[in-house]
Amino acid sequence: MTFFEKQTDPTTPMHWYGNMQADYLYLSGVAGDKFFKHIIKNDTFLATKCPKCNKTFFPPRIYCEDCFLEIPHSDWIEIPAKGKVELFTIATVDTYGIKLEKPKVVCMINIDETDGTLLGIIKTDDLEEEFRGIHVEAVFKSKNKREGTLKDILYFKKIE
Amino acid sequence: MLKETQSYPKYAPGTYVSNKDIINKNITYTWWEPEVQYSWSLGPAYSRFLQELKEGRIIGRTCKKCNRVLIPPRMFCEYCYRPTDDWIYLKDTGTIETYSISYLDPNAQRIKDPILIGVISIDGASPQHGIMHYFGEMKPNEIFIGMKVKAIWKPKKERTGSITDIKYFIPIKGGEKI
Amino acid sequence: MRKVAVIGAGMTLFRRRLLETGKELSFLATKMAMEDCEIEKKDIDMVVMGSAPDAFDGIHMKGENLLDGAAATNKPYVRVFNGGGTGVFAPIAGWWHVASGVADIVLVVCEEKMSSCYPHPQTAFQHIWDPVVDRPLHPNLVWLFAMEMNRYMTVHNIKKEDIARVAVKNKRNAVGHPCAQLADEKITVDDVLNSEIMAWPVQRLDISPPSDGASALIICSEEKAKQFSQDPIWIDGVGWNIDSTMWTNRDLYFPRYVANAAKMAYKMSRIQDPRKEIDFAEPYDPFDYKELHHMEGLLLCDKGEAPILTREGVTQRDGDLPICPSGGLLGVGNPIAATMGQKVCELYWQLSGKAGKRQIPTDPQVGVGQAWGDIMQMGTVIVLRRG
Repeated sequence: MTFFEKQTDPTTPMHWYGNMQADYLYLSGVAGDKFFKHIIKNDTFLATKCPKCNKTFFPPRIYCEDCFLEIPHSDWIEIPAKGKVELFTIATVDTYGIKLEKPKVVCMINIDETDGTLLGIIKTDDLEEEFRGIHVEAVFKSKNKREGTLKDILYFKKIE
Repeated sequence: MLKETQSYPKYAPGTYVSNKDIINKNITYTWWEPEVQYSWSLGPAYSRFLQELKEGRIIGRTCKKCNRVLIPPRMFCEYCYRPTDDWIYLKDTGTIETYSISYLDPNAQRIKDPILIGVISIDGASPQHGIMHYFGEMKPNEIFIGMKVKAIWKPKKERTGSITDIKYFIPIKGGEKI
Repeated sequence: MRKVAVIGAGMTLFRRRLLETGKELSFLATKMAMEDCEIEKKDIDMVVMGSAPDAFDGIHMKGENLLDGAAATNKPYVRVFNGGGTGVFAPIAGWWHVASGVADIVLVVCEEKMSSCYPHPQTAFQHIWDPVVDRPLHPNLVWLFAMEMNRYMTVHNIKKEDIARVAVKNKRNAVGHPCAQLADEKITVDDVLNSEIMAWPVQRLDISPPSDGASALIICSEEKAKQFSQDPIWIDGVGWNIDSTMWTNRDLYFPRYVANAAKMAYKMSRIQDPRKEIDFAEPYDPFDYKELHHMEGLLLCDKGEAPILTREGVTQRDGDLPICPSGGLLGVGNPIAATMGQKVCELYWQLSGKAGKRQIPTDPQVGVGQAWGDIMQMGTVIVLRRG
């Protein structure tokens, strides 16, 4: 019976190898497209505010998930690209477990004037600093290099 | 019956965008190429199957309860839901159960000379039990369901223990010894 | 087991590529369904999401990603998926919630965004094949359909003209549908027969397109149904069945898994003579021959009889047994799971007299919807009945 047959020959084939071949093009969506087109030209962010419960969404959305109402164009607001660090960690290895040349400070930043947060990297040489609670602002790529993706935000830096 | 004058759905929300909008960068997007690799366990059944293919033989499994001979071989019979019983060598000839004449290559690109692909029930296995494989040395207007075919194997040193150790199946000519 | 009624439905535009993200599409479909029966998010007890492979949208665990657009935050939520069968399986899963008594009003949402996958959504399909015995041959999904179509045509001696009639019927039927991607008033059998051969016998116009889209359905218990309608549309029967993945070990000419699912649904709905008791049907039609294949699987006619009925005009909207009055997948589009819009929402709209230009003139009482998925494996069937 196959279940109880032992495989004692190390040259018997044990595995089959393959990979997942597919690439992805993610459209930003109705809300995302408006947001990214804005940061191509400006150094500020956009957010949306629900007309009923006043919750301010960042990243912006076309609907409020609680009231389940559509947020009209008139409720889009422009806000500075600044925030306060809620949580942080210092990453010493990359996605594959390989040691980074220089550790990265990765934070959840609560964007000012909104109820939302953004994942960002703080560029700093001082790793001993207490990052929680500090105020930071976004540093963007130069305008002619922006493409309309999250990478247009290079990193965040502490506001002195 | 309720006679509604309004037609449903009343409207069709959604914003159509075309490939040109992406090429001309009228809309923003993010590009991602995942890097995912797999190492699938073969299990005892496929392991032996591939070993035998490298030796130029096709092997199946028997289920004594439903009296089937299974190809591709498997550890358990999915109808009786019990382990299969014995190994059994099968012939490398069979009958075409169905086929297609494809003008698309595996990447859905158009090609001029069609690929002939189909399902072959293997002699020695239960009726209509077989594998998918290519056909060769025959023209599109010659292929038919019910044709008797035989496997053409790659030379021994090119065989790696894969279903592709069989190059393709070709027609058995009338009176040909198999 | 409680009775379950359908009280609202909605669907988005279906196109090859839509700007909206999956969440936004789910929101648009859900909003339409909620407007239809005038309820709010707080009225919904539980949510069921149906969405086929993560590999299309390119977001792993996409059920979790889509839920805030499907009004599901802070609610009991489940995502179900069985390939193309999801369009009818998701409402069946919704039916479990209400029939069992754990929920009174359930929202069912189906979404698909196939346009994210490059170079073509077909690339994602490569991964359904067995890695050892199928994938090394680099098969193309169209080959699989072509092989099944060939087997079906050969066993029953069917000509391509009769199969092409299905594509013509459905693309013309879709002209009354605001969401339709490939509606065509003027298409003819010759157009289909002269279209480019992809993998013989499949030609370009035999196939439905990949699409982006979403659809939503709201169902409720018997007590609540009276608040919404004088003449509720009931989910009268459900059935689902799956066959083995070893597709090279089966004769593909007849979908026995669809027949098994249909028998289960008909038993629940006390239908003994499907051909006589069912007024119209929406079988799954990703390819034109599949409509015929599934008509036989649904036991609406004898094996091999479906092309004859099509040729005789019986399956036209004004015929004796209208099939795919919505325009089906061939006319409206094929965003895999979101085809619930044509297969179930359409039954609801037809039975309540709301289908406008697509309305079947003969005052239908009973309709059957069916979906099919995976590697020629899954059959899901739903019966809707008025009154």
